[in-house]
Amino acid sequence: MSQDLPPAGGYGPVQYRRNLPPRGFRPSFYIFATLAVCSWGFYRIIDGSHEKKELAREKRWARIHLTPVLQAEEDRDMVRRVWAGERREEVLMKDVKDWKFGSVYHTDRFVRPTFVPTPSQITPGLPPQVVQKVED
Amino acid sequence: MASREPRFSQHVLVDAVPLPDDIPKVEEVGASSAPLLSAAFFIGARCRPYNDDYMKCKDESPGRGEIDCMREGRKVTRCAVSVIEDLRANCLGEFRLHWQCLETKNHQLWKCRKQEQGLNECVYKKLGLEKTIPGAPEGQIPIHLRTKVRYT
Repeated sequence: MSQDLPPAGGYGPVQYRRNLPPRGFRPSFYIFATLAVCSWGFYRIIDGSHEKKELAREKRWARIHLTPVLQAEEDRDMVRRVWAGERREEVLMKDVKDWKFGSVYHTDRFVRPTFVPTPSQITPGLPPQVVQKVED
Repeated sequence: MASREPRFSQHVLVDAVPLPDDIPKVEEVGASSAPLLSAAFFIGARCRPYNDDYMKCKDESPGRGEIDCMREGRKVTRCAVSVIEDLRANCLGEFRLHWQCLETKNHQLWKCRKQEQGLNECVYKKLGLEKTIPGAPEGQIPIHLRTKVRYT
């Protein structure tokens, strides 16, 4: 009994790959191109953040220069209001015997008023111009 | 939803009683935020010593600063008023352009560089005040003088 044998000279080569031309660039090209794009982007980001820091410094210093002006005005106004309140108290309570004038706190600190006495005609829920109308 | 009704009290909180006569009168600055921001670095350039004095005084008298530092506070206000009046007298056009730009550009200084440049030049020429940002890194162009910027 004869066996199947390869043909004389062996089999021909088997085509296991598709016969297509390689597409695009070499793979390493893509790696380096990505790196280059990313580096450029990070350079822009870092540069921008440095600039942002300087802009923030500029804004901060503009506010630092303005703070004393605003604070001085605010302090003066608060002192004026507190002293006016004390004088009002003197006028209102001048007939009361043994009335102790001035701050109610046992300290020589300047205590900003927590509560401000207001007249009673505040209508809840209505803005001032409406209140005016209601009163008229 | 708020369960409380709003109470408006600003119309009864007006108190026009002036300070006692033995305290010198000061004219308040009276400028709104945009002109103040526009003038901030010139106020800083001229009034830095007064400002520092005032802040030091406030720092050294905790709790009493409001009354004890009124003298320094008056100097601060007078100096700031003098700067703004000088700006108005000498560079009104540029000043106006700059602060109106700031007003429309959300008070962002970097959006009004062109107007700021005009104002800075005018103020330096006429008043001798220069805008400097303390603490900026040396060897670099200050941010307000750069022509090549990322944020424009």
